[in-house]
Amino acid sequence: MNAPLHSGLEYWLNAPDDGPDLAWLDERRHGARARLSARALPHSKQEAWRYTSLKSLLEQQFTAIDEPLSALQPEDLDTVLIPGFESHRLVLVNGRYAPELSMLGELPAGVRIGGLRDWLQHDPESLRGQLDAALGDSEAFFATLNSAGLDDGLVVWLERGAVLERPIELIHLSVGLDEPRVAQPRHLVHLEAGAQARLIERYVSLGEALYCTNAVMEVVLGRDAVLKHERLQMESRNAFHLSGFYLLQDENSRYSGINIGLGARWARTDLNTRFRGEQAECVLHGLYLAGDGQLLDYHLDVEHAVPNCRSEENFKGLLTGQGRAVFDGRVLVAKSAQKSDAAMSNRNLMLSEQAEIDTKPQLEIYADDVRCSHGTTVGQIEPEMLFYLRSRGIDASQARRMLCLGFAGEVIDQLGVEAVREHVAAAVGQRLT
Amino acid sequence: MLSVKGLRANVGDKEILKGLDLEIGPGEVHAIMGPNGSGKSTLSHVLSGRDGYTVTAGSATFEGHDLLELEPEERAQLGLFLAFQYPVELPGVNNTYFLKAALNSLRKARGEPELDAVAFLRLIKEKLKILHLDDSLLKRAVNAGFSGGEKKRNEIFQMALLEPKFAILDETDSGLDIDALRVVAEGVNALRSPERSMIVVTHYQRLLDYIQPDYVHVLAHGRIIRSGGKELALELEEKGYGWIDAELAA
Repeated sequence: MNAPLHSGLEYWLNAPDDGPDLAWLDERRHGARARLSARALPHSKQEAWRYTSLKSLLEQQFTAIDEPLSALQPEDLDTVLIPGFESHRLVLVNGRYAPELSMLGELPAGVRIGGLRDWLQHDPESLRGQLDAALGDSEAFFATLNSAGLDDGLVVWLERGAVLERPIELIHLSVGLDEPRVAQPRHLVHLEAGAQARLIERYVSLGEALYCTNAVMEVVLGRDAVLKHERLQMESRNAFHLSGFYLLQDENSRYSGINIGLGARWARTDLNTRFRGEQAECVLHGLYLAGDGQLLDYHLDVEHAVPNCRSEENFKGLLTGQGRAVFDGRVLVAKSAQKSDAAMSNRNLMLSEQAEIDTKPQLEIYADDVRCSHGTTVGQIEPEMLFYLRSRGIDASQARRMLCLGFAGEVIDQLGVEAVREHVAAAVGQRLT
Repeated sequence: MLSVKGLRANVGDKEILKGLDLEIGPGEVHAIMGPNGSGKSTLSHVLSGRDGYTVTAGSATFEGHDLLELEPEERAQLGLFLAFQYPVELPGVNNTYFLKAALNSLRKARGEPELDAVAFLRLIKEKLKILHLDDSLLKRAVNAGFSGGEKKRNEIFQMALLEPKFAILDETDSGLDIDALRVVAEGVNALRSPERSMIVVTHYQRLLDYIQPDYVHVLAHGRIIRSGGKELALELEEKGYGWIDAELAA
């Protein structure tokens, strides 16, 4: 029998018992749970949690969802779909894969996509080595909690050389229930050597519901594989959002991720990258917009464990009202990781006196032949720029909005699909009115 | 059209404009010349409504409107235009989007309907030609990464598009080589009309070889100390600005 977890967090683990019966999986869940009960809750004395309190999260007393929500009809999705965006669409409702709402379409040879729970039922052995492959025995508290409650999610598997032209769209839809509920989906993405795909991950809700998401995605990129990944966090403004992203890259693989954070009341995102083959490249872009009543917290951990890899992190933040954001970026270059190339930047535009940003880019370099840089800025709209626009007849509020959109546009423009780009630009624009 | 009377303005505690008078009628081009620090840029900025200046006395009226009471965008909507000495880079703000927003703001203020996309694009292409600008400029961010010459041409291009009643060209010649200067000046000349007045602020007479003013004023120590026809510019070219202090001391 496990000791109870702190602050009622064991109620996050009340997963239904109708899942696949796998000894090795139970072992993993129990192992994760045992690690948690031996550990204290994250607290503000820890560097990684210095600026973000768990108080409001724990106060909600979230409980795990015990049965899938079956009442949704395909037309309920209409409000969340992006017009004109054609994708291989997978929908999770409150953390559970909903095949009846998904539209996978035809997949080329060598591409397998499906729900984690189904996969574990039909082909458990293929996932045995994959689950926790990128996460490992992570120290991260909430990712471990996700492992302990592991139940459903998405699996994307591209075999050697498989190329998926059309993007995969993962819609993580949350629907408010009578009590505050937490969903803990686990996603696995595995691109074997030379495979290529684009994955668009969306966190959305029906209405302004109160709920919690604690998602973990593990990605393994084989040699020469290419993954373009866009994550759009547009949760309900009453929601709590935790997400852990764990990436392992083999030789010459390319990962490019764009993180857009607009929603949630309280959001914590951990992005972790580890190179295990040379000549690999990881680019992380981010844009967050925190307004009244919002806290958006980003932690990046990029580990150059081998030589000759390149990483770039470019995060931008817009803060309005009493919005708060945290950017804590760390690049570690191991002693043997010579010729590493790492550049980290975090730029913030403060649109009110009450907004707050805590930004902390860090480089930890143990190799002596590297090219590394980091920089951070916190500023306001330049009066010069504002005057320039106004001198052309554009009124002050529109001018401010244009400048903010311009600032955000440098990230939004990186989004690879036009319909998605327009969707995000419109959402950002709406927030700035 | 524009009437400036006894204008005094400070930057912080320092008085820069010390009682400046200027009358400009419709269609007239006035050159304002003067040494560095004489108040030329301050005058441009005060008239266009930039922050950072305190007007302590005097008035500036434009077609009966008290300019100094108006926001910068309201001045622009009345038909005032400033070609910046240092055009500002706006990274991430697309040029086409910017031009459209500006033009439509002015049209809206005049009670005219917004231009549709086709009409707007046709208009833009026509104006680009005047300044020998390539339409690749439209896809770029406003002034971002532009060369000095491109920036100045972009200013006059905006002027051509927005068709102001009154333009202030603040040291438009600074930083231009002779070819770029010629293109900019041709652009300005193409925009001269009996209804459009201009102030051409410059340190050097060179620009006035290409844009011939109706009047030349010498600004020194915050006041206009001499006014005349275009021959005054030539005289300044010959004598430099050294005589001013001697004259003021006398």
